Amino acid sequence: MSSTSTAPAVALEASGLGKRYGRQGAALEDCSFRLPAGRISALVGPNGAGKSTLLAMAAGLLRPTSGTLTVLDGAPGEHRDRVAHLAQNKPLYPQLTIAETLSMGAELNPARWDAACAARIVEQGGLDPKSRIRSLSGGQRTRVALALALGKRPELMLLDEPMADLDPLARHELMGTLMADAAEHGTTVLMSSHIVAELADACDHLLLLGGGRVRLGGGIDDLLTAHTVVTGRGTPEDLTRRGHTVIESRTAGRGLTALVRRDGPVDEGWATEEPSLEELVLAHLRAPAAPALLTPSTTPAPQAVTA
Amino acid sequence: MSAPGLTRTVLRLHRTALIVWTVFVLGSVGYLVWLTEVTAGSVRETLDACPDHGILCGIDAWHAYSGAMSWTSTFMYYSYWAVAAWAGGAVIGRELESGTARLAWTQGVTPRRWLTAKLALPAAALVVGGAVFVPVYRWAWSAHRDLMGDSLAFNDVFADHGPLVVAYGLCALAVGALTGLLLGRPLPALALSVAVTTVLNRTLEHHRPTPLPPTAFWPTHLTETALVLATAALATTATYWQLRRVTP
Repeated sequence: MSSTSTAPAVALEASGLGKRYGRQGAALEDCSFRLPAGRISALVGPNGAGKSTLLAMAAGLLRPTSGTLTVLDGAPGEHRDRVAHLAQNKPLYPQLTIAETLSMGAELNPARWDAACAARIVEQGGLDPKSRIRSLSGGQRTRVALALALGKRPELMLLDEPMADLDPLARHELMGTLMADAAEHGTTVLMSSHIVAELADACDHLLLLGGGRVRLGGGIDDLLTAHTVVTGRGTPEDLTRRGHTVIESRTAGRGLTALVRRDGPVDEGWATEEPSLEELVLAHLRAPAAPALLTPSTTPAPQAVTA
Repeated sequence: MSAPGLTRTVLRLHRTALIVWTVFVLGSVGYLVWLTEVTAGSVRETLDACPDHGILCGIDAWHAYSGAMSWTSTFMYYSYWAVAAWAGGAVIGRELESGTARLAWTQGVTPRRWLTAKLALPAAALVVGGAVFVPVYRWAWSAHRDLMGDSLAFNDVFADHGPLVVAYGLCALAVGALTGLLLGRPLPALALSVAVTTVLNRTLEHHRPTPLPPTAFWPTHLTETALVLATAALATTATYWQLRRVTP
């Protein structure tokens, strides 16, 4: 617990975090960021960017090879009872029934287990608690896994592609359940997904991973405000000369459309428009060389600072 | 703390294995009692009815008793194969491959406590099973010596006469857990743990003295037990060390 600090509580803070897998090279390298408590953060990035690795390290499942990671003011794995993790393949014990799976949640999280909440999520899907996990479809397993994750009333939820194998209706409904629950309890959520449009509705914070680092991090509104889609007659150099950072540009007819990180107002000759989250993410995914941007609340505190 | 909860969860996960082991131990013990109290008597009656106590005339009846006794002791001796396969495949290897180990570690349970429960409960079942089987086997084995053709020097008879048979089970469990954790896949882990424990067993068998004077039984038996338990302890230490290396 921070005692005198006026800064908002931090759910997750990484500093110089790295993870190497033997000969395969580094999944994360010198990764630094901070996730303020209470945010619903989207974790995006190309395949192999280290999203699952980061989530697994935060859940206390993998030991980092370098750097530090602080989870709810403790080392990873120190507060397992307060952190929920939903792995990409939604592992559950196939030989157990749904009811037995939830009993396991109660037995392994005795101090925090909310049986009514877990049972409700299962009921909403019309699932029979007596069915065996091995008989369930992918989407039904996701529902049970999510019931197990929410049943422990976590302060931090780490979700790896949580909705990947759900049909659109179940996806919408479960995402709603998840978001309502997070809002009601002030849960911090870090959720990876490839479907950016879906994240835009649910999330208020973004962490974009690329090349083992956070390339873009902060409140989604702040990040969108910092960027502009400009259209007009000119060259990327014209924009760069005025101090703007051109993330991505393409010629359209005799004109130019570019996504820029603004430095001050854009010249009058350009038509400007705020990018959508999808445009912002895609532009940064297509331009791996663009400089990183972390908003102040997402920038990790400098080490050994004295007040 | 959720120690009782963790125990209940692990028991539920490995319920089938526990039932199979219980049925096997109780079945073996019951069969030994039946052979000693019922079958042996009828074999004697058949042999007594033979003219001049002829051997050939009663050979089938004799086999019914001594063959069944031998099989029971052999099955118990080599039950470590089943334990090694199960420990390598189902206890750790399958959980790592499917990701359910990680599911458990993200509940309120540390990987260390999870491993402890995964090892302690089967170990307890093996010890209890041995504690039930060994005394009954010793009694049954010595009841009708004249009807048996075996001796204490037989590999299975030698081990089943004391804690050695339990030590092999515990060693198979520890080696299986280690191979499961190292390989992370059930089938290779199962094969490797069976191979390793079999090589250990064969090696130690070759060092048993032949012939075995009765006075040498306990020193030899307990020395081998100590060696097997030391291997089990080494494998267990290595398992905890490896788990600590990969998880915080």
